[in-house]
Amino acid sequence: MATMRGTSGSQSSLREANSERLLDAVRQFGSITQVELAQATGLSPATVSTIVKQLLETGVVETRHTIRSGRRAQLVTIAHRAGLLVAVHVGERTMRLAIADSSFDFLEQRSLPLPVDHRHDTTLDRAAVLVAELVDGLGSSLSEVLAVGVGLPAPVDPATGRISVPGILRGWEDIPVAEVLERRIGAPIAVHNDANLGALGELRFGAARGASDLLYVRASYGVGGGVIVAGALHQGHRGLAGELGHALVDAQGPICRCGSRGCLNTVCGAQALVDSLRHSRGSLTLTDVLDLASDGDPGCQQVIIDAGAAIGTVAANTAVSLGPRLIIVGGELAQAGPLVLEPLRDAVRRRVPLAQGTALEVQAAQLGLDAELYGGLAVAADLAHVTARAV
Amino acid sequence: MVETQQSNKEELMAATPLLRARGISKYFGAVQALVDVDLEVDAHEVVALVGDNAAGKSTLARVIAGVHAPDEGTLEIDGEQVRTFTTRAARANGVATVFQELALAENLDVTANIFLGQELPDRGLLDEEAMETLARGYLKDLNARIPSPRTPVAHLTAGQRQCVAIARTLVGKPRIIVLDEPTSSLSVAQTAEVLTHIEQLRSMGLGVVIISHNLTDIRAVADRIEVLRHGRNNGSFIAAETAYEDIIAAITGAPRTSRRLA
Repeated sequence: MATMRGTSGSQSSLREANSERLLDAVRQFGSITQVELAQATGLSPATVSTIVKQLLETGVVETRHTIRSGRRAQLVTIAHRAGLLVAVHVGERTMRLAIADSSFDFLEQRSLPLPVDHRHDTTLDRAAVLVAELVDGLGSSLSEVLAVGVGLPAPVDPATGRISVPGILRGWEDIPVAEVLERRIGAPIAVHNDANLGALGELRFGAARGASDLLYVRASYGVGGGVIVAGALHQGHRGLAGELGHALVDAQGPICRCGSRGCLNTVCGAQALVDSLRHSRGSLTLTDVLDLASDGDPGCQQVIIDAGAAIGTVAANTAVSLGPRLIIVGGELAQAGPLVLEPLRDAVRRRVPLAQGTALEVQAAQLGLDAELYGGLAVAADLAHVTARAV
Repeated sequence: MVETQQSNKEELMAATPLLRARGISKYFGAVQALVDVDLEVDAHEVVALVGDNAAGKSTLARVIAGVHAPDEGTLEIDGEQVRTFTTRAARANGVATVFQELALAENLDVTANIFLGQELPDRGLLDEEAMETLARGYLKDLNARIPSPRTPVAHLTAGQRQCVAIARTLVGKPRIIVLDEPTSSLSVAQTAEVLTHIEQLRSMGLGVVIISHNLTDIRAVADRIEVLRHGRNNGSFIAAETAYEDIIAAITGAPRTSRRLA
């Protein structure tokens, strides 16, 4: 950050570079005083003041007065006249949250580790408080929040907004998540399955931009799927479309959380992965397995490769019935890159119809773990009738 | 950058725990602060100490940190028995502690606070540049959200201060970090940051001991939960497999109803 651009160039290009650097700092910290800006960018207070004045005139930033250590200070934030969009992704072990302006640039982002089988009241309370705190940190108020998109790691019935299959997200079954959050945040809330949001995120902002038929595979603590047909999200009856994790892979297998036997999740859910390593590697978390695999641990690599193959078979079968042009793999397991993607591609290639002509492509999510957040912003924007300006 | 223990991954399976306290007792006059307490912490593991007020959590943390010498029992670090109980000896043994009172100097900047009392000399002067580079590295390792290592601590939020206090412990390349109530009196956004830092420390291969009252925070980041009650061990739980009720029962001494549904 401290290094200057290679050539000094003209006065105006220097000014441009400085202003870019200053904007980066404002974006990074959401709201920051001019004094802190000078420290963060290494620019002189006078330069910061001049650039802020220019950016203020062009409407890129907003300023307001605040007090820092007893002195008056000028707080600088990115201008977001059209209001704020919020995405909340409640995962199995992490809650991720993003606040964006209407051009879908993240203004703030947080991730909060969650306990196993976290409880709806604590988690939703923390989500609401977190939104309020972060919005406040941006120098805005909750009244500027246009809408919130929420992703849950379970199928959500589009008719009721509630989880439609009990047991998958224990204790959350009859919780009216949208109502609970709406009461606290005071903005309209859209609740979706997280893999559906991942699909929308990649469709609007990621690797699948412009695609019309897409299968998004979210390989996380469990496997989920989002289906895009003819450019639109296909949720199916009770939101069950794309529930890849509950496809049958082992007729003699153990009983899944959902109650049926031999689901894909019983073979490659996080619990199954760490269980298969317990004997030789002791007790690990999913993050440990991914870390060790990337450090070259052959056992952990094997587990991820096998998971990729198992997911691949189900994804290929699903592709045969849906006919997507593209399969995008997101979620934590996708962070393992080729380890999980190659066996998945292999499985798809073995379904001959898929491999002919313009073959079905398998790619990692371009937005990584942010795909679901972008999808959340997208549904929030739709809910708020903000015209999406996908860049 | 901290090139902390790349070898820790192999230590995962090592038989000797990084830290082993056995039969620790500590008396303050008539007060039995700790009675025959055992504790083990492995590398790459987060162990939470929970219990009511005066259950002995902080005393145990202070014994590990070298503030108190135990009256009975032994403390081993990496199989080596600790004989000198001073904070300096503990630091030399790779144990770093962040107490509730963070002891930061308001008027100094982040770098100066991180290196407070452990400054890097450069021919009789301070090597400001090296310290700032290292400070940036520590903050990056922790995914810190601090504008610049030159920001005075007076300008930081409670969560950012906690982060500076944690970053300070990284200077001595520790193997064990003890955090006393790191999330008390923090907002949710700040708690999110501190919990993320703790996950980061674990990924760096450190053994982390965390004392907290908040079971949600603890169950989110801890691998193991050790309950203390009236200065004694009162249960050890695998965080991922234990319900709140069982932990609360152990903390309060309620008879445990074994109604666990599979």
